[in-house]
Amino acid sequence: MRASRLERKVGLVLAVGSAVSVGLLTLGIVAMGASQIGPLDRPFPRFDLGRVPADLAATEPAGFLWLGLLAVILTPSVRVAASLVGFAASGERRMAVVALIGLAIICLSAILGAGG
Amino acid sequence: MAELLLLVSGGGVAGAFGALLGLGGGVLIVPLLTLGFGLPLREAVGASLVCVIVTSSAAASVYLERDVANLRLGMTLEMFTASAALAGGLVAFALPDRALALMFAALLLYVAATMARGRGADLAVKPAPDDPEALAPAPAEAPGNGLAASLSGPGYRVRNLGRGVLGSLVAGIVSALFGVGGGIVKVPLMNLAMGVPLRVATATSNLMIGVTASAGGLIYLLRGGIDPYVAAPLAVGVFAGASLASRMADRVDLRLLRVLFVAVLVVTATQMALKGLP
Repeated sequence: MRASRLERKVGLVLAVGSAVSVGLLTLGIVAMGASQIGPLDRPFPRFDLGRVPADLAATEPAGFLWLGLLAVILTPSVRVAASLVGFAASGERRMAVVALIGLAIICLSAILGAGG
Repeated sequence: MAELLLLVSGGGVAGAFGALLGLGGGVLIVPLLTLGFGLPLREAVGASLVCVIVTSSAAASVYLERDVANLRLGMTLEMFTASAALAGGLVAFALPDRALALMFAALLLYVAATMARGRGADLAVKPAPDDPEALAPAPAEAPGNGLAASLSGPGYRVRNLGRGVLGSLVAGIVSALFGVGGGIVKVPLMNLAMGVPLRVATATSNLMIGVTASAGGLIYLLRGGIDPYVAAPLAVGVFAGASLASRMADRVDLRLLRVLFVAVLVVTATQMALKGLP
């Protein structure tokens, strides 16, 4: 049996997300090596979304590492968003609501995480 | 540089074990970082969650493409795993490290006991993405009407959705507290309690792990619980190890591997318990 169009598209989202994440993380590790930064060096940089573009422009390891980690953590959310679009387009209202709730929970995590 | 290589290779071993034995690898990654590298438990859990998401996304993409994972069932249950992971992530920051270490030791013993009971081959061995048996389509059959029916797949009908919800809540809390995927709870639950075929249950559990670990991972990320210098090399190692292992799964003696794994878990549980004791 072949997967439906939706499953294939959602699978593609995950595959692309994984490849991009691992690629960015690998670039970050190479930059760590070039900058002679060890994995146990302290203090480690704290996540600051506002600094990421500047770090990337300066080819700082932290820029690639945070962007890669963000891509890792957000790939499943993009998968849920892609499913939401697919379910809505095919008229599967119940599953579209389920996907919407899934996204809402992830948003709530971000809000509660940022508030701590 | 030596530490960087050690982390990548340690992640590779954890990823390979995880792929061959059907676990996310978190049960090995957290002890590796705390006992091997001396990291605080919460930072180890944060890094482990990142690794768990990487392996989930990579494997689930294959499972979806080959129509093994049940997208609708997975998305329905992950509402509950993710909600519980959100709560678990918040609780993890409130618990003392020692309490977390003792609870983690208990989790390791539970996983070891489950595998040692001999059900490991059925409950814990996740079909590798290239495993032809795992990827074989189930026979077609009309599942009927209703919510459970709408979540059923060809050849099986989902039952006991209430139990599935309860088990998903447990799996979500376990995931966020300990940085694991929670497959050790979800796979038997879906397979034995909900009537989902093993290969579909393992693939669907894998799919759910991504969103579940994301909910917990976001809290760790935003509260400074993820060290990028540790998480990145580990995640790349896990990805490489899992990818490699999935291609050689049919050439590995899984029984021997399981015995070795149980021994590692028992030793690790003892060390974690000692770390947690005053």
